[in-house]
Amino acid sequence: MKLKFTHPEPTENDIVGPKYWKSLEEVAETPEFRQWLEREFPSGASELEGGNRRHFLRIMAASFSLAGLGLTGCRQDEQHMLPYSKEPERNVPGVPLYYATSMPSYRGNIPLIVETHDSRPTKIEGNPSDPYYGGATDVYAQASILDLYDPDRVERSYGANKKGLSKAEVYDLFKKIHDTYKDGGGKRLAFLSEKSTSPTRDKLISELRKVFPGMIWAEYEPVDHDNPLKILQKEFQKHLRPWHHFENAKRVLSLDADFLNGECGHLAYSRGFAKTRRIKNVDEAAQMSRLYMVESNYSITGGMADHRLRLGASQIPAFTCLVAAEIFKQMGGDSKLVELLEEKGKGVVVNGKWIEECAKDLIQHKGESLIVVGSHLPQEVHFLVLALNAELGANGKTVSYVEIPKVEAQSISELADVMRSGEVKTLVIMGGNPVYNAPGGLDWSSLQQKVEEVIRYGYHFDETSLIANIHIAATHYLESWGDGRTWEGAYVPVQPMILPLFEGLSEIEVLGRLSGKENSDPYTMVKETFTELYPKHSFDEWLSVGVIRDEHYSSADIVFDIGRLKEVLTDAQLTPPLLSAENLEIRFLPSSHAYDGRYNNNGWLQELPDPMTRLTWDNAIIISPKLANELSHQSGINLIPQPALMNKMEQMELNAAHFKKGKEEAYIGEVSLHGKMIRGPIHVQPGLADYTVVLPLGFGRKEVGRVGMGTGFDVYPLLASNDVLTIANAALKVTQDRYFLANTQEHWSMEGRAIVREANVESYQAKPDFVKKMGLESHAPSNYGNAKNDSIQVLSKDIPRGGSVYKTPDFQGAQQWGMVIDLNTCTGCSACVIACQSENNIAIVGKDQVLRGREMHWIRLDRYFSSAEEDKSALPHDPQVSFMSLMCQHCELAPCENVCPVNATVHDTEGLNVMAYNRCVGTRFCANNCPYKVRRFNFFDWNKRHAGHFYEGPFGPAGVNELHQMQKNPDVTLRMRGVMEKCTYCVQRIEEAKITQRVKAKDSGNVLVPDGTIQTACQQACPTSAIVFGDIMDTHSAVAELKTGDRNYSVLGYLNTRPRTTYLGRIRNPNRLMPDYYDQPLSRVEYETRYGHETHHEGHTEKELHAHEA
Amino acid sequence: MTANIAKKTATEGVGFSSDAILAKVNPVHMPRKTLVDNNRDYRWITQKICGIVEEKTPRWWWSCFLVALFVASFTAVGLTYLVSTGVGVWGLRSPTNWGWAIVNFVFWIGIGHAGTLISAILCLLKQEWRTAINRPAEAMTIFAVMCAGIFPVFHIGRFWYCWWMIPLPNANGIWTNFRSPLEWDVFAVTTYFTVSLLFWYMGMIPDLATLRDRAQKIWRKYFYGILAMGWRSSVRNWSNYEMAYLMLAGLSTPLVLSVHTVVSFDFAVSVLPGWHTTIFPPYFVAGAIFSGFGMVLTLMIPLRAIYGLHDLLTQYHIDNMCKVILATGSMVGYGYAMEFFIAWYGANAYEGFAFINRAFGQYSWAYWIMLTCNVFSPQLFWFSKIRQNITLVFIISLVVNVGMWFERFVIIVTSLANDFLPSSWGYYTPTVVDIFTFFGTFGLFGAMFLLFIRFLPMMAIAEIKAVIPRGDPHYYETKSHK
Repeated sequence: MKLKFTHPEPTENDIVGPKYWKSLEEVAETPEFRQWLEREFPSGASELEGGNRRHFLRIMAASFSLAGLGLTGCRQDEQHMLPYSKEPERNVPGVPLYYATSMPSYRGNIPLIVETHDSRPTKIEGNPSDPYYGGATDVYAQASILDLYDPDRVERSYGANKKGLSKAEVYDLFKKIHDTYKDGGGKRLAFLSEKSTSPTRDKLISELRKVFPGMIWAEYEPVDHDNPLKILQKEFQKHLRPWHHFENAKRVLSLDADFLNGECGHLAYSRGFAKTRRIKNVDEAAQMSRLYMVESNYSITGGMADHRLRLGASQIPAFTCLVAAEIFKQMGGDSKLVELLEEKGKGVVVNGKWIEECAKDLIQHKGESLIVVGSHLPQEVHFLVLALNAELGANGKTVSYVEIPKVEAQSISELADVMRSGEVKTLVIMGGNPVYNAPGGLDWSSLQQKVEEVIRYGYHFDETSLIANIHIAATHYLESWGDGRTWEGAYVPVQPMILPLFEGLSEIEVLGRLSGKENSDPYTMVKETFTELYPKHSFDEWLSVGVIRDEHYSSADIVFDIGRLKEVLTDAQLTPPLLSAENLEIRFLPSSHAYDGRYNNNGWLQELPDPMTRLTWDNAIIISPKLANELSHQSGINLIPQPALMNKMEQMELNAAHFKKGKEEAYIGEVSLHGKMIRGPIHVQPGLADYTVVLPLGFGRKEVGRVGMGTGFDVYPLLASNDVLTIANAALKVTQDRYFLANTQEHWSMEGRAIVREANVESYQAKPDFVKKMGLESHAPSNYGNAKNDSIQVLSKDIPRGGSVYKTPDFQGAQQWGMVIDLNTCTGCSACVIACQSENNIAIVGKDQVLRGREMHWIRLDRYFSSAEEDKSALPHDPQVSFMSLMCQHCELAPCENVCPVNATVHDTEGLNVMAYNRCVGTRFCANNCPYKVRRFNFFDWNKRHAGHFYEGPFGPAGVNELHQMQKNPDVTLRMRGVMEKCTYCVQRIEEAKITQRVKAKDSGNVLVPDGTIQTACQQACPTSAIVFGDIMDTHSAVAELKTGDRNYSVLGYLNTRPRTTYLGRIRNPNRLMPDYYDQPLSRVEYETRYGHETHHEGHTEKELHAHEA
Repeated sequence: MTANIAKKTATEGVGFSSDAILAKVNPVHMPRKTLVDNNRDYRWITQKICGIVEEKTPRWWWSCFLVALFVASFTAVGLTYLVSTGVGVWGLRSPTNWGWAIVNFVFWIGIGHAGTLISAILCLLKQEWRTAINRPAEAMTIFAVMCAGIFPVFHIGRFWYCWWMIPLPNANGIWTNFRSPLEWDVFAVTTYFTVSLLFWYMGMIPDLATLRDRAQKIWRKYFYGILAMGWRSSVRNWSNYEMAYLMLAGLSTPLVLSVHTVVSFDFAVSVLPGWHTTIFPPYFVAGAIFSGFGMVLTLMIPLRAIYGLHDLLTQYHIDNMCKVILATGSMVGYGYAMEFFIAWYGANAYEGFAFINRAFGQYSWAYWIMLTCNVFSPQLFWFSKIRQNITLVFIISLVVNVGMWFERFVIIVTSLANDFLPSSWGYYTPTVVDIFTFFGTFGLFGAMFLLFIRFLPMMAIAEIKAVIPRGDPHYYETKSHK
């Protein structure tokens, strides 16, 4: 920890020297005072009758102080108090301090900057110093701060019968273990740990191995991404890993790889990929990358795809062979190999043209194309893709193979075998939660119970702790020292922000103690590692920057042997199973709420709608519309609602789920696989591969905190092994039972409305101003009248207010804030939603309230599907998805403002639509009149009352949990019940930047905050920099430049609300030759067919339009 | 007798040669409907109406009153729960941030409309048939506005700050927002309530004096004595009274139009498809009169039966009210049709969807209930047979009230539930608390109305006397003529 928050010892001078008196006792010591007091009637006493209050009080105070003096003898030892005039170094009250750290993760540490207020961490931000992440974070990183303040975390270590253990006792315990096993060389001692990237930990493990050469060190991750590593190890005898350079890739084929979200390195990949999608104008559009996606689930990567092919995950290995055959064929490769590949690819039902054209496109962009493959797919597929990438000239350009450090570790099944044989006497479980998430095939819990002594080191008291003998409390990464490496290999510190809140130990401390170290101070250990690794670098600089810049794993040259490929393929079992409604394939996925279960007690994540399903607080058996139809047919239970009149009239698309009074009512399904069965609610998801059942992991925990209790259902029992996350031969039975799912978006279709405006590269090039030609505003005369061609600076400040009687808001502020959201790079990852929640103290409302439609997120990430399918009264099987993050649009002419009777929501001079919570009486008219529906009402005292007790009113328990209180951002008001709230553009950040700038400016008058200084929380978190915020009066600001671009438009612009948040139309880049090519994005097709705009107005010349307006 | 009056009126403007011309033209005698049947005299009228107040409290009154109080307690409990716990106890959600509370507000305000219309506009138009129903209609107005007032006051998130809606000078210099239709509501409703109350009370003074004069018990003497404000029935009294009455009628007339116009602005001023329509003011006013007359009938038909007021509230009165309902119901129907037409004609996709969705979407059940009750059911009043069947009239009057409640529900809820962005669509359902709070207001209304008929002259004695044949200053002359 960097700063010592202890007061300096008082110096002699402090205590003796002349100064202001601090206490009445002190003042009572002076002779004058004593003398004054001892007179029977102090002067002024007679004035009492005159009513001199001040004198009276003085006399009274003096008497009280004397009384106090008399009693001092009975009190505790006298202690010196000093005023807070000598504050800890650099701590300015009210000014937050930022520290660099990183979030440990097996998928690569995420470099972070953490905001602390009075040494409480309050907000996690990405560390922009890292060149690959550039400040990007994901939902888990953003939400991890809430875990620090989780009231259900283990506060201390426990021995048998839940007897508390002091820290000293824990140390003794470690010493005892050390001593017991030292002589035997660690025989019968086993460790099971989560994977980690920490060099210090690696070092400690090897030290541990030295002490206990006979021990078992096993590592386990329920969601394993090591398939590529394993095959590379096997083939090249090196610990290698592919590293994709999406920023260099013009053509990408992704084989079930959700590289923007689920795969390792997703943040760096998102950033790299976004670079190829971010375009300023028509010219750059031609340079845009193209993404082909073949996948079973509908991932957000699939959402970004230009061509998406739905295919069961079990079909993809064979499909890959077909792609490979095509590529080799087109490139004139070995015909034997092509034959072999075609042979292997038999049984996949897929349009050959798709593969042919895709392959052609990849080959045409040799050196700029890239094939990525999902880590859950078999190793042979990875090897094949490796060969393909080599063939496509990708090596060194769009992909490189880096050598990563390796820890010798056994797998959980190997450990289980040893345990089964009774060879393990003491098992130390470092993190993880195997009782819950070990593959169902292992029957871990009974194995664990067989072990004599199980010591569990963990953050929560969970299923594993329940049947362990001893639970050692772990610290959160924000309160412990550590280190790690990012996905790219940059060495990053894990720096604590706060002293441990409870009696926990850090992981390296535990390992250090076990290896026999007397002093296991984690700080020293990390520093040691650092000095060993980087003797020339400064440790302090590393801590303050948070990363060693320009450092990454070194890449290794691999020589690829085509003959070896043949061998591997010949042996490989890649035959696709024949999938049908009777033979389904299961795809296990970490859930967006709980990952593998570790975040199950995190309320932010639980309440964060899944980007695709929009479900909160639960997982579901996710199936395709086709399967739903077939199952409905079989069982007679309608999984898909019957078309209503509005659907038949083609006025509204059919809902994907039954909604009963606005709540999704799902039928319970039973998935059975190899004699095991799980039950869960069925959710129909358009765009899924027909016979794939997606089962999100991480729910149905038995021993979990208050938040996670009762959420979802557990699918681990079906999981045979953690490296096989796809499995066929499953069956799904629908039952009559029903269950309410908290879905935050009832309707999936845009209904042909011009909300998300999209074009293909070609149609964009033909009509660069397509966004202006969509929506009602394209018909209506320009809202800005004659001034419509004025610059945005003029428009935003000096109004042509349409001749309004009201000289509405005074926009005379020197800076005018605005935001642009680039729909072309927004992937829908939802990091912005959590970042906003964390920054702005947004309450969690619980499942019951989400069901009632009262979620509080200031950012609503809308997800729309659009389809080209003929049957409008059925659900689309193969839709395109469009995301739009919608928060308060800060309309210049805000409809919310004029309807508030008490002036609680008004405009400031810098163009913000501000909300005066204290003035709000809660008529909710503003929310009704908001066309974007982005205002959120506090229906209950979310912050004061406890979830589950909202309806008990004053009789329910009240008060804020002390821990939760600590997370709150002191710069943002906590809203009470009955008031409205909404996005503020992070006004606290704007104000802070303005104050800082004013201080800096002094008399120079240079008070304008430079562009880029203010980053809203959502903008900061965004991995693809899709959100840009800044001053639109500054013509050179990033936001102003984007706003003048041709893709810039306002949602519902025809209402003349003139939002300050505008969007950049989305451009898709499909291949004209592909069989699934559409001239226009499907949302656009829907728009044209519904409103016939294009055909109707084709004949209008620009001149005519002008005449119309005049 | 009536023929004579008609004859006299006809001759007035013609001058001296009238008799000759009349003989020549030989005008058809248009007998005027009598407003009090059976040729009742002053004494009978006084006796009848005062008797209601003076008789021993009937047992049915007590039971009705206790039931009403019990029902009213539902509102009290509902509101207590609401304020203590939060608006969340209602079924509101995003995007439907207004639900039953505002529906109920508009519903009750609408009911309150007939009173002023009958008192003011019909007074100015010299529609003498109003005399039989103006007093109870005004009372109904006042009580309905009181019930209505509960909802906007309590529906806000922080009830304890409801006074912030009143423009009061304060240290922060924050004023209310005069651009907000809710603020206009505050002024419109309070003005309406004040004027209606004054009008009602002032009109009652001569009758209160009658009650005072007839009082047997000392408390009655004081009670009515104070209320009668020293009325002596002198010519000066009457002259002032008539003038004041006329002025108040003049004042109230614009209010009839303004209140519901302003209430309709709550919606018309917004941007939402389905709310943002210029037709709202006239169509809300028509709807309000429609529901107001419905409620008058609902109240008066049982009272007529209980107190035997058939001579005072004749078939003619009922006929007239039915016709008003028919006329305003048709106007409302025209409004519905016009909304659809404009939605189509305006070529605004959002608007078009909003109306199709109203009729065929998830809330179509509410829409068709509304249409049946408001547009189709009053059409039955074209038939005099139906107008004469009191039971049917009573049932239709109830149906009209149900329909008008649904109209507000349809307007408010369907527009909010499916607006611009399909991603935010949702379905609103009320909770038990919503339902009971509304149910309770009927108890409150009933209790107040029962107190009214028990303690105040239920009908305008003086005014009724003025419209009977004997009230005509020339009554005896013409009689002797004959």
